[in-house]
Amino acid sequence: MSARRIYLDNSATTPLDPRVVQAMHPYLDTVFGNPSSLHREGRQARECLDRARGQVAALFNADPGEIFFTASGTESDNLALTGIIDALGGHENHVITSAIEHPAVLETCRSLERRGVDVTCLPSDSDGLIDPDELAGAFRPTTRLVSVMAANNVVGTVQPINELARIAHDHGVPFHTDAVQAAGKIPINVRTQPIGLLSLAAHKIHGPKGVGALFVRAGIPIAPILHGGGQERGLRSATENMAGIAGLGCAAEIARAEMSAEAARLVKLRDRIIETVAAMLPNAYLIGHRHRRLPGHVCLGFDGMEGESIRLLLSLDEAGIAISTGSACSAHRGNQPSHVLQAMGFDPFRARGSLRVTLGRFNTDADVEAFLRILPEKIRELRPIATYPITNNNKGV
Amino acid sequence: MTLTVKDLPGLDCGACGFRTCEALAEQLPGDQALLKRCIYYSDKEKMATPTLVAKPPAPAPTACGSCAVASAPKGANPWQDSLGRDVDFYLDHFPTEPGPREIIIPHNPMLTREMNIQPGDVLIGRPLGMSCGCPITHCGVAMQVDPRTGVIVWCVTGPLRPRLEGFKDLGYYIAEGYEGLVHKKRCDLKIGMRYFFQPTMCMLQWRHSGLINYLNRTGDALQIRVEGLWIG
Repeated sequence: MSARRIYLDNSATTPLDPRVVQAMHPYLDTVFGNPSSLHREGRQARECLDRARGQVAALFNADPGEIFFTASGTESDNLALTGIIDALGGHENHVITSAIEHPAVLETCRSLERRGVDVTCLPSDSDGLIDPDELAGAFRPTTRLVSVMAANNVVGTVQPINELARIAHDHGVPFHTDAVQAAGKIPINVRTQPIGLLSLAAHKIHGPKGVGALFVRAGIPIAPILHGGGQERGLRSATENMAGIAGLGCAAEIARAEMSAEAARLVKLRDRIIETVAAMLPNAYLIGHRHRRLPGHVCLGFDGMEGESIRLLLSLDEAGIAISTGSACSAHRGNQPSHVLQAMGFDPFRARGSLRVTLGRFNTDADVEAFLRILPEKIRELRPIATYPITNNNKGV
Repeated sequence: MTLTVKDLPGLDCGACGFRTCEALAEQLPGDQALLKRCIYYSDKEKMATPTLVAKPPAPAPTACGSCAVASAPKGANPWQDSLGRDVDFYLDHFPTEPGPREIIIPHNPMLTREMNIQPGDVLIGRPLGMSCGCPITHCGVAMQVDPRTGVIVWCVTGPLRPRLEGFKDLGYYIAEGYEGLVHKKRCDLKIGMRYFFQPTMCMLQWRHSGLINYLNRTGDALQIRVEGLWIG
């Protein structure tokens, strides 16, 4: 057993980058001012706030005035959906989303439904892709918003956001994307892509937990869901989390600067896992699209050992490797099959049995080799799959 | 069709595994299939997903019952579970039945009637909390059903049959008792006493504990019923 932990659950959260820690430190220590204050301490904090807003805006080629800091990706999603409906008012409102969204979107849609809003959930294909033609056919005169995630948290599939956003734009409807998984990993350019609103969370890009942001294109009407002192130009009242915002800004800047090289590196590691597992384990299958997926995201299923995926997680954990079964956000739901996998057409058994391996900035070739060495050992220890041959070919296909 | 760097999005995003679009374009003349790696080349195009599994999948193994590998794992100490805790005996299933026999009750016992559960029905569910909390969804076949109390006697099997034949989903259930045979024990077993035991077919190989309230010698084994179950 390796003494060093190998963390392969970067879609759940990521370790802080030391550069981010360094950027945050002054705001946990000497620079403690409230950015709304007029004195020097306040002005120091305001400078940080403005700098971070620019850093986040640059990640999407947005205008800094279009970035609003929040406390999480979930809050950003809530604000986007509820804020648009609240701003528009009216009695007949319709929202289009997809069946594979994060609960932050789906549960907000359910909340809107209880208020009388009609919600259409677009189906997913077996790769986790939303068909643009399905979107095109779902509009009504009362449609106020389309919300489709940029990349899925469970299976890693990257949506055809350009086309989906273009269709919404052509219908005159704002397009929101939950980019919590995609931001900082694949390029998103709101000046060339007709995205109206975009959510992100710092802790998915080696930033701190407890801070997120919402991009709202200038001119799109949106109402606050938190009421108070009018911070963030009235959209998100609450004294700003300065250390978190400084961390998010730094994390966004690092992600932008290193995105290409990092993506190319992670794709190689990702494909090494996919191909080696395929060679070693005949009952393994890849979940999600083979190529249209996030650079560091692997989601695997093992035919006939759905229940054992939890055991596999536990035994890999004992061996020092952290992975997950599906989304961390649904881990507490116990027996419930993944709504994402069910929407992709998996039966309830398979929908309970996925294994998610997600790579990040601090994973190395050695981490992947250690995982690929330990995985078959742990699978052999699971009696029910011992009937499957495990090849010694560890060289990929 | 010969593609050049001008045909690529020019984002240099790295998501294809090459650091730049130019680097990808250089490889395209020799392998046009590499274009499938570009997630921005065509959002409209549905690129076929190659099958990861080269061979048809082997028959799905059953978790227990008809499992081909029916013996307990051979650790350094056969009287310890996978977490290194001592066990007093191993509980095997009746050889004439498709898997370990359990007496269960849905968390809402009315489900037994509402779902019209009948002997022979294929069921799934997870044993939640007391007793005996387990993270694994179980599958099985109903053997006896008491619609008045909701109590079901089922034999736990692997997932293959539910997948092939369909099933009724109990959601969560309580495991009230186990019945089976004891071939391997390291102490005398008595009615009314609690013991640590290892269900031979337990996927996790975690020890359980329970109170023996039925015990009868049958051939070379002891037939027992254990109730008041806990994991650990």
